[in-house]
Amino acid sequence: MTPPIVSTKTLLKSTIVATIIALIVLVVFILPAEYNIDPTHIGHRLGLTALAHHDDEAESKADIIVNAKQGQQVIEVTVPAGKGIEYKFQMAQYEKMTYEWITDGEPLYFDLHGEPQGDTTGYFESYAIATLSAMKGSFTSPFAGSHGWYWKNNSDKPVAIQLIVEGQYEVIGLK
Amino acid sequence: MHSQVLRFTALLFAVALMGMSFDILAHGVDDKTRVFLEQNTGVQFIPFIYIGAKHMFTGYDHILFLVGVIFFLYRSRDVLLYISMFTIGHSITLLWGVLGDIQVNPYLIDAIIGFSVIYKGFDNLGGFKRLLGKQPSTKLAVLIFGLFHGFGLATKLQEFELDSDGLVANMIAFNIGVELGQFMALAFIVIAINFWRKSPSFQRFAITTNTMLMSAGLMLVGLQLTGYYLS
Repeated sequence: MTPPIVSTKTLLKSTIVATIIALIVLVVFILPAEYNIDPTHIGHRLGLTALAHHDDEAESKADIIVNAKQGQQVIEVTVPAGKGIEYKFQMAQYEKMTYEWITDGEPLYFDLHGEPQGDTTGYFESYAIATLSAMKGSFTSPFAGSHGWYWKNNSDKPVAIQLIVEGQYEVIGLK
Repeated sequence: MHSQVLRFTALLFAVALMGMSFDILAHGVDDKTRVFLEQNTGVQFIPFIYIGAKHMFTGYDHILFLVGVIFFLYRSRDVLLYISMFTIGHSITLLWGVLGDIQVNPYLIDAIIGFSVIYKGFDNLGGFKRLLGKQPSTKLAVLIFGLFHGFGLATKLQEFELDSDGLVANMIAFNIGVELGQFMALAFIVIAINFWRKSPSFQRFAITTNTMLMSAGLMLVGLQLTGYYLS
């Protein structure tokens, strides 16, 4: 069985019909449902545009629920002499982070802690408190919220810290 | 004949290159799969086979192209030959795309995949014979479009932001899954088409079916290009 060779007229007709059907289906059904583009307003009347809205919401919800696993990230911060700074990350419950930080030599008092999301009472939970010039470890956030370090520089010189993190988080940064 | 195919391929590659970008566009991956893959690192052989098979089996763009390819192939040997060309093509670019970390814009690559459906529908109508006086090599066309389909598969895998840990094994598992899914889908299509071919309605509806293929391909192109302009 060999493919037919149709007449030019039939070929032209087929191509035009294919294009017209594709355009109608695209404009009336597909674009409203997928992208909320609805020039004819038929998609809206058929309730198809709701699908596009729903998709957007599902996507943004998924973003909140889970942070993508981040590759290694190197962050440099400086704590001014006699001052304290806080560097935080937004994490959902049970998300994991591995970290390593090192100062330029000077030990710093630090408190690695987390604050629950939406909390207004000032409550926080500390995971580690010490005075060190370097630390390495990992933790799983016990609750959704902001997690990170408070470093206090008791010396009279600014101290630079290099922080290397990897895992599931969103950087909030200095607070 | 070949030079026309090659010139055309160069044009398609140029379009794909223009779309190369360094941000991965979220599109086409369901959230449950994404969450699973992002929280599980290392080698996940069976899950990746499953994802590959599911993508191919439910990927109507790949399936439509295959329907077009085997529409007029009634000998099993030809079916095997053409499907092998397609498999070689898409495996090369799937492996190359993921391992070489080549970022092709998924909307543009999916638009080209949609175009492959239009091409095959037009070809089946004898359009090229009518238009150019000669039919471009169908084997070469399957191989070349196979390469583009492979880039499409690579973008799907890259959306998972895969860990380098176990990447090669996972990618091979995904590729095996793709072939399994393709095999399952083809089994249905070949049986259905062979059955239909026995009926006189086949010849009568061949023109309609391939017109519909072209139309579906146009819809895919429109859908993906709109996505591209909006992103």
